[in-house]
Amino acid sequence: MMFRLFFGMAMNRFALKAVILLIGIAPVANRNFATASDFSPEQIEFFEKEIRPLLVEHCYQCHSGGSEKLQAELRVDFRDALLKGGDSGPVIVPGNADESLLIHSVRYESYEMPPKGKLPDADIALLEKWVNDGAPWPDEPPPELAGNANQFDLDSRRASHWAWQPLNVVTPPMVKQTDWPSSPIDQFVLQKLEAADLNPAPPIDRRGLIRRLSFDLTGLPPTPEQVDAFVADTGDGAVERVVDALLQSQHFGHRWGRHWLDLVRYAESRGHEFDHDATNAYQYRDYVIRAFNADVPYDQFVTEHIAGDLVEQPRMNPEQGFNESILGTGFWFLGEWVHSPVDIRKDEADRFDNMIDVMSKTFLGLTVACARCHDHKFDAITTADYYALSGFLQSSDFRQVRFQTIDNDRKIADQLSVLDGDYQNRIGELIAPHLPDDLKSELIGLLDKQSDHVAYLVGSPGETATVSESIEDADPSILVDYAKLDSCDYIQDGFIFGKSPTGLGSLAIETAESGSRVIFNSQFAAVSDRFWDGLVSTSENGVQQRGRLGAIPMSGRTLRTPTVRLNAGNIEIRVRGVGHIIACVDSHRLIAGPLHYETVVHVKSPDAWSWVRMNLGRYVGHGVHFEFVPDESQSIAVSLVTQNISNEKRAAIEHQEKRHQDVSTKLQQWLDNFTSDAETKGVEASSKAASAVKELINQWSSARSDLRKSVRAESQLAMAMIDSSGEDDHVLVRGNSSSPGPIVPRRFLSAIDGNDPLPKQTLSGRLELAERINDPKNPQASRVIVNRIWHHLMGRGIVPTTDDFGVLGQLPTHPELLDYLADQFNRDGRSIKSMIRRIVLSKSYQMSSEVDSAALAKDPKNLLWHYREPKRLDGESIRDSLLAISGRLDPKMYGPSVPVHLTGFMDGRGRPGASGPLDGDGRRSIYIAVRRNFLSPFMLTFDSPVPFSTMGRRNVSNVPAQSLILMNDPFVVSQAKLWATRMIADVPDPKIRVQEMYKLAFSRLPTDQESELLMQYVSTSPGSPNETLLQWTDLAHALINTKEFIFLR
Amino acid sequence: MIPLEPTNPIARRWFLNQCGVGLGSIALASMIDGGRGRANDSRDPLSPKPAHFPAKIKNVIFLFMAGAPSQYETFDNKPELAKFDGTLPPPELLKGYRAAFIDPNSKLLGPKFKFAKHGQSGAEISEILPHTAKIADQLTIIKSMHTDAFNHAPAQLMMNTGSQLFGKPSMGAWTLYGLGNESRDLPGFVVFSSGAKGPSGGNSCWGSGFLPTVYQGVQFRGGGDPVLYLSNPEGVDSTTQRQSLDAINRLNQMQLDAVGDPEIATRINAFEMAFRMQSTAPEVMDLNRESQQTLDAYGAKPGEASFANNCLLARRLVERGVRFIQLYHEAWDQHGNLVKGITKNCVDTDQACAALVEDLRVRGLLDETLVIWGGEFGRTPMTQGAGGDGRDHHPNAFTIWMAGGGLKPGITYGDSDELGFNVARDPVHVRDLHATILHLLGLDHTRLTVRVQGLDQRLTGVEPAHIVREILI
Repeated sequence: MMFRLFFGMAMNRFALKAVILLIGIAPVANRNFATASDFSPEQIEFFEKEIRPLLVEHCYQCHSGGSEKLQAELRVDFRDALLKGGDSGPVIVPGNADESLLIHSVRYESYEMPPKGKLPDADIALLEKWVNDGAPWPDEPPPELAGNANQFDLDSRRASHWAWQPLNVVTPPMVKQTDWPSSPIDQFVLQKLEAADLNPAPPIDRRGLIRRLSFDLTGLPPTPEQVDAFVADTGDGAVERVVDALLQSQHFGHRWGRHWLDLVRYAESRGHEFDHDATNAYQYRDYVIRAFNADVPYDQFVTEHIAGDLVEQPRMNPEQGFNESILGTGFWFLGEWVHSPVDIRKDEADRFDNMIDVMSKTFLGLTVACARCHDHKFDAITTADYYALSGFLQSSDFRQVRFQTIDNDRKIADQLSVLDGDYQNRIGELIAPHLPDDLKSELIGLLDKQSDHVAYLVGSPGETATVSESIEDADPSILVDYAKLDSCDYIQDGFIFGKSPTGLGSLAIETAESGSRVIFNSQFAAVSDRFWDGLVSTSENGVQQRGRLGAIPMSGRTLRTPTVRLNAGNIEIRVRGVGHIIACVDSHRLIAGPLHYETVVHVKSPDAWSWVRMNLGRYVGHGVHFEFVPDESQSIAVSLVTQNISNEKRAAIEHQEKRHQDVSTKLQQWLDNFTSDAETKGVEASSKAASAVKELINQWSSARSDLRKSVRAESQLAMAMIDSSGEDDHVLVRGNSSSPGPIVPRRFLSAIDGNDPLPKQTLSGRLELAERINDPKNPQASRVIVNRIWHHLMGRGIVPTTDDFGVLGQLPTHPELLDYLADQFNRDGRSIKSMIRRIVLSKSYQMSSEVDSAALAKDPKNLLWHYREPKRLDGESIRDSLLAISGRLDPKMYGPSVPVHLTGFMDGRGRPGASGPLDGDGRRSIYIAVRRNFLSPFMLTFDSPVPFSTMGRRNVSNVPAQSLILMNDPFVVSQAKLWATRMIADVPDPKIRVQEMYKLAFSRLPTDQESELLMQYVSTSPGSPNETLLQWTDLAHALINTKEFIFLR
Repeated sequence: MIPLEPTNPIARRWFLNQCGVGLGSIALASMIDGGRGRANDSRDPLSPKPAHFPAKIKNVIFLFMAGAPSQYETFDNKPELAKFDGTLPPPELLKGYRAAFIDPNSKLLGPKFKFAKHGQSGAEISEILPHTAKIADQLTIIKSMHTDAFNHAPAQLMMNTGSQLFGKPSMGAWTLYGLGNESRDLPGFVVFSSGAKGPSGGNSCWGSGFLPTVYQGVQFRGGGDPVLYLSNPEGVDSTTQRQSLDAINRLNQMQLDAVGDPEIATRINAFEMAFRMQSTAPEVMDLNRESQQTLDAYGAKPGEASFANNCLLARRLVERGVRFIQLYHEAWDQHGNLVKGITKNCVDTDQACAALVEDLRVRGLLDETLVIWGGEFGRTPMTQGAGGDGRDHHPNAFTIWMAGGGLKPGITYGDSDELGFNVARDPVHVRDLHATILHLLGLDHTRLTVRVQGLDQRLTGVEPAHIVREILI
């Protein structure tokens, strides 16, 4: 009694109930006005777990805000709607199921709902219980009432918003000033200017133009030589020549690659508490730079991002021959990772949210992640769309791929499989006639049908292998059985587990120093082949590597089971060998304590089959797959993964295993005798066969050794995707990972591609998804990227909100121009360089930044592009310019990042052990490490994005901190000094020196006034070299601090 | 790296001579009118903006006890828990509950310290907070806080940004976005950190998320250079820096005259503010300017990096119009070693917290300042570890206190159940706290929005948030 009272008090809802009962108020009457705070967490949990999913699944289609046509004016997606009811009045009476129309209807007593068929009694009972309990519902805002049934009408939303419409076929408009346009682009721009009675600004001067072009295309200032040459080149096509040279520069990839990295929240660490390494992220960065320099067609670039691991013909690096395509998939994994998440499923849901968010904004300019909890508030995007995309991620996984060797080794694996099959058959055919009948029938007796594995016995291949005493299919204690796994579920990173599991009675070759022999496999199991011993995988040197998985040699050496749902925590796995078993729960991979260490175990049972137990009680109900990785120079074999297995079942399995073992031992003894006695026995046929077998064994062995020589053992690693077992995702009701709703098949957005599931030619279906994204039928495919290019060159996108083409984004200022460019882009084979060339050669691009005040009054925001607004350089360009003028710039490309320079303010957990060099070794800014918790203050202050999501449009701020950096950052001061040193040495005449410095910094000569001021200064200076240097350093520093240095005009 | 040698002051002086008075003297004139009073300039994202309605407070000082202090050892006295010490918790309580690290079915652990009632309000405060106990009648204690997250980083992000996910603006950033910066020469959002290690949530705790970076918190340090790159380059004093600046302004002015680009004027202003910050910040950060009596009250020692110093600096910043100040003290994660650890934390922070509130009150600043003390979640009533000297993370119920303008002083709001496990009365979610703080600042949390990627984002998110009106005057 004491305890009961105690808990009544402890949970106030109980206390409240007691009070109500005591004072005799009918709780039913009050419950109508109940609010969320009147329901206990248990009641709400019951609702979320049991009731809401029922309503969503069976009622929402016709009775919710999302219904295409609301039936009977009744909604059941918020509590007040049920109380108010529809055409037939209120549908629930809280506390009284028997008086509730909802209950009558599901009982098929009045209406018959749902019309498709009566619910199971158990579900009806749940609904009754819920109503009787007062119909608990959480305190949540009612889904918006405005428009109600019309609120989410996909068709009307799609029809009413421009971005969903196909590309319009447009012809450049007629203009009055026919002599102005130099390209169709100019006609579009001029036509709008003329309509607004505005004139385009005059063209910018040559020096301004080459500075603009050079920064826009390469992120670096032009050299004085380039400027002079351009000014001197008065012939036709001078601009074209400069543009083409800049497009060919290696620095083009640095500039445009950096733009791209902003979209994919590129970083080299995971943030969170310890800022763990995102190991080898730089390989993705190098991939992007190479791809932009090579002008990879954009649709191919997109495909490589979505599914570069699946393309039939990967793009190979022309110099080094490695697989470029697969590197694109690294973008999926550049997000933040958390170690030790308590709610590991929610952690997955959050990671997927970020991946979908980045993918959809980057490639589609759509905010699909807004539909995680509810249908998109404004756009034609449903929650089902979100989870349809989420399914692609459920069906895919992370790995560090051996991208330099994967294609070579795939070929070798194919050859190895053919070679082994060939020798297995030939040897099998030779020994079959000599095999004693009793042995033969004992073996066949253990097999259900003729099996591929033992085709040699009867020569009838083609039928699938099954085991006669196999475990019943429905046995819930068997999670994975390698005796009967679908071949598409035989998944591995690498090739060491062969093309399929081995089977009882099949032949294998065993090579030891003493020689080779053929053995009979005794079990149905996945077995790693030591043919692949000696693979070496290299990663960049880490900064913070606390993850347990990083120490396991997984790359190219990992077998993974299909994903299964655990319904018990006591897992037993039948294994032989030496290596690691990893239970990957909800795709979580940052195993760095204190939680989740139980998901990784090491096995050491080199010779005998044994049960490995894992206690995964924490993960019951979760999606889990198991991974098997042999230690270096070891093998591992796995036959079964079980959960909550009974003693009887375990004994049965062991018994069956023993029978398999017995027969294969007998077979082995026979074979060993057959081959060793062959010459002495004198039976001619046998001895002939036996010598032939021995000869074949030798050939087999040497064929394998020869093939082994072609394996490329050493490879660098990169983050990449791999297909796992195909899995559709559940809708998560209100985005809550603990309230799963109905399953949605994997598909692209329904507003573009309808509701049909994608045909799955591959496991995950990502390749098909990529095709849909690139399909010309998807108008976003080209509009979004063309708009990005325009944004970077013109300072503002035609759609200013580059990452959101939805209803809440801004409308295109020049929709016809956008469609014209998108169409040209498609015709150019989606060449980014061609599009850039097209734009920068227009007169619109080449306008002056000086503005006529009357024009500014008419169009103050320059929406019509009547002039070019001055543009502040981004942080990278400012830093790279400093290096360029000081002479410190090291043009070296690629490779692991230069560690970021740490200031005293960059402290906290995960701080790298050592600071990087102040000047970043003179490398371009794209090569400076991007660590989420230790971002460069220089870059942050100049608005480089914090890498959390797609950022197609950077902020442009102007804050005192920028001034502090330019005045006081020792990096800036040191570059000023280097610059001064170099100028004093190179240019003896002070007057010319000032001119040269102006050319370097501003691509122009000083005005007379400026020159005069500066010359006065140098002429008053005393002569000692040291003082000269100090003065010129000061002068250089002042020039760097002028506005002109960090702006483009 | 190139060794830096002193830059020749003659060069800088030359600039001043040659460039005349011009802009420099205008800028200097503008400095004379002191810290407060910033012009309303629509081009400046930090220019002061009107609140939605009259504000109760101007400034916020958030004493963030990172790592999450145990409510059982500080403010939430649970005699029942003492009674059931060593027994297993009732199974009903644990249904559906998940602890971070321990098996929830661990033995209950009674409070480790004695409580007594203090002040006229009779607030119950533990013996390890003797100084805080003395200001009990200034405090508004909330014992019914609850949150969604039970790991440090997400919970700290939740407390600071209203979301467990990265990339959302912090409360200080939202405040500057809504109200601008009153100070002409100091940033409007300043962050200090003390204790064993930085907050788990890292920079994101004071980040600007999807708001422009001008709104993010600026880290100040108690020792050394208080702001990054605040010091002149080696060998350059304030006068020569001024001269250099004038030269830059002169060159900029020539361009402005030539091309009439208004951006140049904005740029000049930025340089001016930077220069003012260079002269103001060291002065503000110089605790030697405080009386010995004040230093003793806080337990502050000039030149030392400590929570006490940071508290005193917070007051000095508030005096100069800095709107939002956060002090992180990271040491409260007592999974084990509870008695020793929490006692040390209290020794390190108790006196300074109390002194800060009292000092603000005496100076008449408490009416326009809100002081908040609290962590990211609470601790379990169950023990962690065999020694019976630790508690795990617990999001269901925890305690914070506030003091300052617009609040009813000397009250305790809300309660937890007998075991301190769940909120028993008047729950206050982190969102509710945010809504209430913004309300005190004169901001309607439903109207303080910014449209990002198609959604009107706000600090309090999409779930309902309620202003805790019961604690407001």
